[in-house]
Amino acid sequence: MYKKEKYRETDKMSDLICDNYPMVLVMNRFGIALGFEERNIGEVCRQNGVDTCTFLTVVNFLIEAKAAPVENVGKCFSMEALITYLHNAHDYFLKFRLPGLRSKLTEAIEDCPADVAFVITKFFDEYVDEVNKHMMYEEKTVFPYVRGLLKGKDGSKYNISIFRKRHDQIEMKIIELKNLLLKYYPGKGNNLLNSVLFDIFATEQDLSTHNLVEDYLFIPAILELEKR
Amino acid sequence: MSEHLKVIIAETSPVIRCGLEVQLKRLSGLRLQLIEVADAEFLYESMRMHKPDMLIINPSMQGCFSLQHLKEETGCPHVKCIALLYALADPALLRLYDEQISIYDSADEIKRKLEHFDTDELPELPDTDEQQMLSVREKEIVVCVVKGMTNREIATRLFLSTHTVITHRRNIARKLQIHSASGLTVYAIVNKLIELSDIDKQQKT
Repeated sequence: MYKKEKYRETDKMSDLICDNYPMVLVMNRFGIALGFEERNIGEVCRQNGVDTCTFLTVVNFLIEAKAAPVENVGKCFSMEALITYLHNAHDYFLKFRLPGLRSKLTEAIEDCPADVAFVITKFFDEYVDEVNKHMMYEEKTVFPYVRGLLKGKDGSKYNISIFRKRHDQIEMKIIELKNLLLKYYPGKGNNLLNSVLFDIFATEQDLSTHNLVEDYLFIPAILELEKR
Repeated sequence: MSEHLKVIIAETSPVIRCGLEVQLKRLSGLRLQLIEVADAEFLYESMRMHKPDMLIINPSMQGCFSLQHLKEETGCPHVKCIALLYALADPALLRLYDEQISIYDSADEIKRKLEHFDTDELPELPDTDEQQMLSVREKEIVVCVVKGMTNREIATRLFLSTHTVITHRRNIARKLQIHSASGLTVYAIVNKLIELSDIDKQQKT
């Protein structure tokens, strides 16, 4: 069963991961390696040079899974650590998750008519382009702006509400791909295709929680920064 | 997904808020996307961001603003407002609400109250296969969209008004749960509404 209360730095890292296996991704994105023996969250974080409070804020936010802004994020929170986390998440999607999904998908639909395989692959590629655009905007515009703010520059030309307005839901199109395959896929089902579907479900979930972190943790934290 | 009803629960008590959320999630047959708001301060922002179909709100939270103002300010003129009541309340206060839920209501009573909206104005849940099938006209429009034609071009080609084309497209998106042109392309190819070569030809010209 999922443990419901908030995790603290004295809890064991292995308990956290076993109770909530998606947190292995979070750990990874903060740059924490496996092999943490019996150490607790605080010890593992310090050992890996990760800000414990930021790690716990993200973990507890995701476990609570509430679509509401996190209050008082500013106090012990490291913006630099959160940016590293978001950046690594982008890398994970663009360099690992989506390319892997693509090659698996093309292999799984090999048997269906060539024109169908062609349009499905094209759809997927367009989707990846969209995700890429979305994430590159954050990498090239939002992150540098926030880093500037941290150094005390005022970004008079830009502010985070611009980002907030244009921050769209990138998981919509992968939901569409899922629907297309479920409802209209003409070939025979196979194990590989099932596995692709499982990956799509997982990616959809992962992208949507990624967006939640941006909307309810990252943006409120930047709003705090801008006020200073 | 678009068929979900977006519902904001605005209530300061975490116990009541979570309790209502659990209760609503258990209701079968209604697909709800629930958003919690604990604080009047976040209500405007949350409304603006999520554009909910329904707002379930504790009237005492309203305090310093009017419902009318809330709807106008946040660009949600059609949101259904439901008062969440702990006890008897002044009928004059409740006049502005579309419905009321008491914290003592049973699950069935709540469901009935929510469904009551569902039938008249909120987006319908398709309940039969037939509703999912595209009409001949809708298929024609899918083919045009896939060929890359604009709404106006489609209207001219099929002797329709642009407005009608838009309505058809909205219905197609709702029936198929496909919103993008590239998604419709996959649908059209799979269902043999069009050949791949037709699309290429069109886009080159």
